Amino acid sequence: MELIERYLQAVRKHLPWKRQDDIIAELRANLESQLEDKEAELGRPLTAGEAEAWLQQIGSPRRMAAPYCPQRYLIGPTLYPVFWLVMLTVFLWVMIIHVFGSAVQIATGSPSWSAVLDAVRSVPSMLLMNGAWVVLIFAVIEFAVHARSKSNASAPDSSDWSPSDLPPVQNESTGGQKPRSYACAMVETMFGVLFLVWLLLLPKYPYLLLGPGAAFPHSSGANVSPFRLAPVWSQVYWCVLVLNLIQLGWNCRDLLCGAWRAPKPSRRIALSVLGLVPLGLLLAARDRSWVTLKDPALDGARYGAALDAINHALYVVFVILCTIFVLRLVWIIGRICLDSFRRRAAAQQ
Amino acid sequence: MTDSSDPRTFDNLRLELRRGCLVLAVLAALRQEHHGYALRKALAERGLEIEESTLYPLLRRLETQGLLASEWREEGKRNKRFYRLSAAGKKIFAQLLQEWQAINASVQNIL
Repeated sequence: MELIERYLQAVRKHLPWKRQDDIIAELRANLESQLEDKEAELGRPLTAGEAEAWLQQIGSPRRMAAPYCPQRYLIGPTLYPVFWLVMLTVFLWVMIIHVFGSAVQIATGSPSWSAVLDAVRSVPSMLLMNGAWVVLIFAVIEFAVHARSKSNASAPDSSDWSPSDLPPVQNESTGGQKPRSYACAMVETMFGVLFLVWLLLLPKYPYLLLGPGAAFPHSSGANVSPFRLAPVWSQVYWCVLVLNLIQLGWNCRDLLCGAWRAPKPSRRIALSVLGLVPLGLLLAARDRSWVTLKDPALDGARYGAALDAINHALYVVFVILCTIFVLRLVWIIGRICLDSFRRRAAAQQ
Repeated sequence: MTDSSDPRTFDNLRLELRRGCLVLAVLAALRQEHHGYALRKALAERGLEIEESTLYPLLRRLETQGLLASEWREEGKRNKRFYRLSAAGKKIFAQLLQEWQAINASVQNIL
C-alpha cells in the first residue's frame, strides 16, 4: 500500500540513522500484518479514506519515531535549577554593569539622546551573547556529567556527594531579625560592586563626588581656590577601598557557598571594627587639619579664620561619626552576647 | 499552578501509572515468543491496549537492555521480528513480578 510506504518514509526521517533500516523493516511488517487483519475483518481492501483514518489513529510519523530516539537534552533536570539561577544572576549583573558603564561613558563623552539609544539598543544582543555563553558552558558541564555517570553507572549517585560535606545549618537567630534573603544578599553585593567602581573612578573623575564643584579646587585665575585637601584623605581613600574589597569578597563567598542567610557574628564585629579605621585615620590627622591652604604664606591672613572654622566643623562631624560607630559596635557585641546567652540558657533547659 | 480538574493532569498521571505496568505486562507476555503486532493483539485481548508508538520502541529498549532476545523469521510469507524473554529478562521479570505484587498488596492495604 502506497500510503504505508509514504508513512514509513516520513517516519524514517526522524529515526536515528544507524537503526533506520531495521526499525522501518519491523514497522512495515507490523503495519502490514495489522492491515491484513483489518482487511480480513472487512472482507475487502481498505478504502483510501479508511487507510488514512487508520494511520491517523496510529499517530504522526514524528510521534511514532520519537520514542526510538534516545532522550537528549542540552541541560538536564539535575543541572537546570543551578543553570537558571546562574542565568538570572548573569543577566542581572550584565544589565547593571552595562547601565553603569554606559552612564559613565555617556557622562564622560558627549551626552546625547543618540548615545542613550545606542546603549539601550545594544542590550538585547548583549543579553543574548551572555546567555549563549551560559548555555554553552552548562551544556558542556551536562555532557561531562552525563559521560561520567555513564562510565560510573554502577554507583551513579553515591560518590557524588556525602552528607558530611553539607554546609552547616545557618543560625537563623539573628537577634530577632529576619534571615537575609538571597535577593537581598545579591542586591547588597551588586551595590558593593557599584560602590567599588565608583570609588575606583573617583581619583580620575572627582566630579562623581563633588559634582560641578570638582572643578573649583583646580580652577585658576580669578576663581582660584585657596584650599586643598590634606594628604590624609589619600590614606583614607585607600583604606575605604580595601575595606570595600574585603566586604565584597565576603559577600561573594557567602553567595557562592550558600551562606547568605545570616552573616557570622564574628564578621559583623570585624566589619564594624574595620569601619572605625578610616575614621581613626581622620581623627589622627596632624594638627586636626583636613583642609589646608595651597599657599599659607599668601592666603593665611585672608583665609586663616575660614580654614579654622572648616577644620573645626569637620572635627565635630568626625567625632560624632566615631561616637555613632563605637556605640553601634557596642550594640552589636551586646546583642551577640545576649543571643549567645539565650541559646545557652535554652540548651540547658 | 496546574488545575487538578484539567484532563491533561489525569492523562499524565495515568501515563505514569501505566508506564511501569506496561514493562511488566510485556515481559510477562513475552515468556512466549511474539512479533510486535501479535504481541499488541495478545495484550489487547487481555484488556491492555497499547499504542504502536509505545509498544514497538519499548520492545527495542528492552532488547537493548538485554531483557529480550529477537530474531527475524519468515511467517505468512513475510519477514517478522520475533521477541522472547532472554535469560537475563527471565530473572529480572521474576524480581519485578515480586516487587509488583508487594506494591500491589501495600496499595491494597492502604486503600
